[in-house]
Amino acid sequence: MRGLPLVPELVRQLFRRPATNRFPAKYLPPSMRAFLRDVQAGRATANPPVPTPPKFRGKIAYDRDSCIGCMLCVRVCPAHAIEFLPDTKKIRVWVDQCIFCSQCTSICPKSCLSMTDAFLLAGEDRYAEDLIVE
Amino acid sequence: MTPAEIALLAAWCAALSLFALAGGLLLSGIDRKLAAHMQARIGPPIRQPFIDTVKLLQKENVVPANAIPWLFSAAPVVALVSSVLVLFYIPVASTMPVLGAYGDLVLVMYLLTVPALALVAGGFASGSPYATIGAQREMVTMIAYEFPLAIVVIGVAWRLGAAGISHPFALQSIAANPVWSVTGPLGLAGVFILLVVLAAITPAELSRIPFDTQEAETELAGGLLVEYSGRNLAMFTLAQAAKTLVLAAVIVAVFFPWNLSSFLAMPGLLAQAADLLFFLLKAVLVLFFAVTLVRVAMARFRINELVSFYWVYLSVIGLAGIVLLMADVVAGPLAGVGV
Amino acid sequence: MSGESKKAPYRVPIGPNHPALKEPVMFTFEMEGEVVRDVDFAPGQAHRGIEWMGMRRNPVQIVHLTDRICGICGVVHSLSFSLAVEQIAGIEVPERADYIRTIVHEFERIQSHLLWAGVAAHELGFDSLLYLTWRVREEAMDVIENLTGNRVNYGIVQVGGVRRDIVPEQHAIIEKCLATYEGLLDTLLSFFLDDRTIRMRCRDVGVLSRKDAVELCTVGPTARASGVNVDLRQDYPYAAYGDLDVKAVLPDRYLGETHGDVYDRIVVRLLEVGQSCQIIRQCLSEMPAGPITAEEKLVKLLATCKKATGEGIGRVEAPRGECLHYVRMEGKDSPASWKVKASSYSNLMSWIPMLRGSQIADIPIIVASIDPCLSCTDRVAIVQDNRRSILTKDDLHRLSAEKTRRLQG
Ligand code: SF4
Ligand code: SF4
Repeated sequence: MRGLPLVPELVRQLFRRPATNRFPAKYLPPSMRAFLRDVQAGRATANPPVPTPPKFRGKIAYDRDSCIGCMLCVRVCPAHAIEFLPDTKKIRVWVDQCIFCSQCTSICPKSCLSMTDAFLLAGEDRYAEDLIVE
Repeated sequence: MTPAEIALLAAWCAALSLFALAGGLLLSGIDRKLAAHMQARIGPPIRQPFIDTVKLLQKENVVPANAIPWLFSAAPVVALVSSVLVLFYIPVASTMPVLGAYGDLVLVMYLLTVPALALVAGGFASGSPYATIGAQREMVTMIAYEFPLAIVVIGVAWRLGAAGISHPFALQSIAANPVWSVTGPLGLAGVFILLVVLAAITPAELSRIPFDTQEAETELAGGLLVEYSGRNLAMFTLAQAAKTLVLAAVIVAVFFPWNLSSFLAMPGLLAQAADLLFFLLKAVLVLFFAVTLVRVAMARFRINELVSFYWVYLSVIGLAGIVLLMADVVAGPLAGVGV
Repeated sequence: MSGESKKAPYRVPIGPNHPALKEPVMFTFEMEGEVVRDVDFAPGQAHRGIEWMGMRRNPVQIVHLTDRICGICGVVHSLSFSLAVEQIAGIEVPERADYIRTIVHEFERIQSHLLWAGVAAHELGFDSLLYLTWRVREEAMDVIENLTGNRVNYGIVQVGGVRRDIVPEQHAIIEKCLATYEGLLDTLLSFFLDDRTIRMRCRDVGVLSRKDAVELCTVGPTARASGVNVDLRQDYPYAAYGDLDVKAVLPDRYLGETHGDVYDRIVVRLLEVGQSCQIIRQCLSEMPAGPITAEEKLVKLLATCKKATGEGIGRVEAPRGECLHYVRMEGKDSPASWKVKASSYSNLMSWIPMLRGSQIADIPIIVASIDPCLSCTDRVAIVQDNRRSILTKDDLHRLSAEKTRRLQG
């Protein structure tokens, strides 16, 4: 169609599968929490999210035992997300502050910090247990 | 009328009103779904308009401080009542219009402007510059499409009249005598043109892109409706839904009045149901081409472009349709077809 | 509607929050009927104090802070900040790093321009095109995520180089994405430029004359669409651009004429998507082997930066135009001064001539047409006793003179 070049594409699209990824469900469940509870209990299944690429920068993982308390990670963390615990000479990462720059993992001399694939971190409580890594 | 007759009529009207609202919301849901698929989205479930309406009805109804309260609150009621009322004059499926004896296509045409006028009044009463601009634009839009709309109505009725059909403006006779069946080849082209013109007016009547200047989300943040919330907004939404159904019904009645039951022999109730489904199918198809496909395929017009589109282009096209119809009447007897 | 023009002018406020504006800025329009008679705007609604934060951090930290200045230009700010610091500390960036910086930089341009095109379509009420462009934009986002580990705020640039190499397996992924875009470009151009409704809404709308564009110091696609031949990549090459042959995209090279309107801005941005594809392809084939950073050990890098004294300026051609970072180091952990001038800052004033005399309906698309990024632009907001005050030119002059004196000691 001249003048409206998008029309053929639109009509074609009508008969194709939509591009949207149906995560976590095709339609928003009436209650997301109830839905997630159902998923956990195996009563419902969630559609998987778009897969993450290799070397994705997700939630921080911390190997407490090999940490030597050198504080280098604290020095380079742009977001001040890492707290040094002087008593134990270990660190604590506040994931709600973390900006996923992966700088701490690069500088750590003992490689005890790493980044996982986890990215479903949204929540209502900044201090929730799973948002504190120590 | 006897009391029993009046009661029956009232019951019919109530049922029809319910049908107008539910059918309209259903059509809106289908429209959203189809549009979403054309945009490669999943879109909301078809029942979404119902959910939205229920939710709106539970929300707080805010009347802005510098609004004119009575007018602000009266407008949605008027819009809703008048939108539903139009359906009483239009044949739906195989049922003839309830109040058909009291009004014809011209009345329908006028009634259709009432919800728009209510919107304008509500917009002006909102006391917001966005709503005021929206109201001005709505008026301009109305004036713009009124002329081509009149062309269509007069064109169809005149052709039916020329074919010797009595009461050519009455919707019963229009529905009973499909205008296609009385015309020759020239007239078919003319009727088709009028159909296109009527379809092109529909988005403006329903304030849909590309003719939604009065609401224009990105310009006026909802324009006319910007101050409305809660129950009042729900009423406008319902009025809009009813109007969607009404416009589809008008197009169907004027241009596609055939019923399934006249082709297939069916027992009474089944025939009614089949006709209703067939009517809804026709409505969906009409709305798909007149509204859904149009609104996803275009950018919004500016108000001056809208005016010149209706006043100049569409009017000329409509007049061309009428000329074809006239030529058909003249040529018809000569060629021995038609009349 | 000649009757309307006789009506008294009225005011329409748009912003700071309005569906037409994707970012906060406050407009006040003096209207006459549907026509804009005059316009005033007040930015500064999204000031976040990033420079203040930066002056309490070391350059290695700041580099990732700069990513957050803008949600779309994830590499532009970190790149120009790094350029400035490298200048001060005398760090020589390895060639391979320059190429990788260029590749990510160009991918960013692709996604940013596509994002803009979608927003522009949305402002026109053409949502189908919004969904379409944003869908194809995902390809670039996926590649960026693959190269850097993040979809936005890439965190790939570090002072002295980049943090991740492009390995041979990734070449195929990049190639595939480039092929997709090169195949799509003509279709996209046709969707935008052949559409009657878009042409009707954008042609000769929001015109910025070449003279105004030069006088108001506009940059980037906004300036180029008015026929001003500016592009830092061609005028002051940085990163790998010195080795590449980049020519500013001007609308008359495609259409044979320059109107300086919204339509031309669409043309420039879409054509730059194609240009970016070519640049990336060239970079991939010419990329030399070698290290990707001048200093692999972050601890040593921190020490080098700490020793550095002096001032540096980093300039980068962001998708929206020139982005400039000024840094001054005085032998301490953190810089003594850090100033960001985002590209939109130079472009905002062009709104005034564009909007005057236009219709209400054109406001959204004109405002969007310079691709404003206000959170990048807003560098100062003065709020005292809950009241905002406006600084005039004289105030600003006095303040900057004072600051210069302070810096000179
Ligand atoms: S990833 Fe970056 S922001 Fe997060 S804890 Fe590590 S250094 Fe801090
Ligand atoms: S850099 Fe590594 S070893 Fe040092 S304190 Fe941090 S986590 Fe522990």
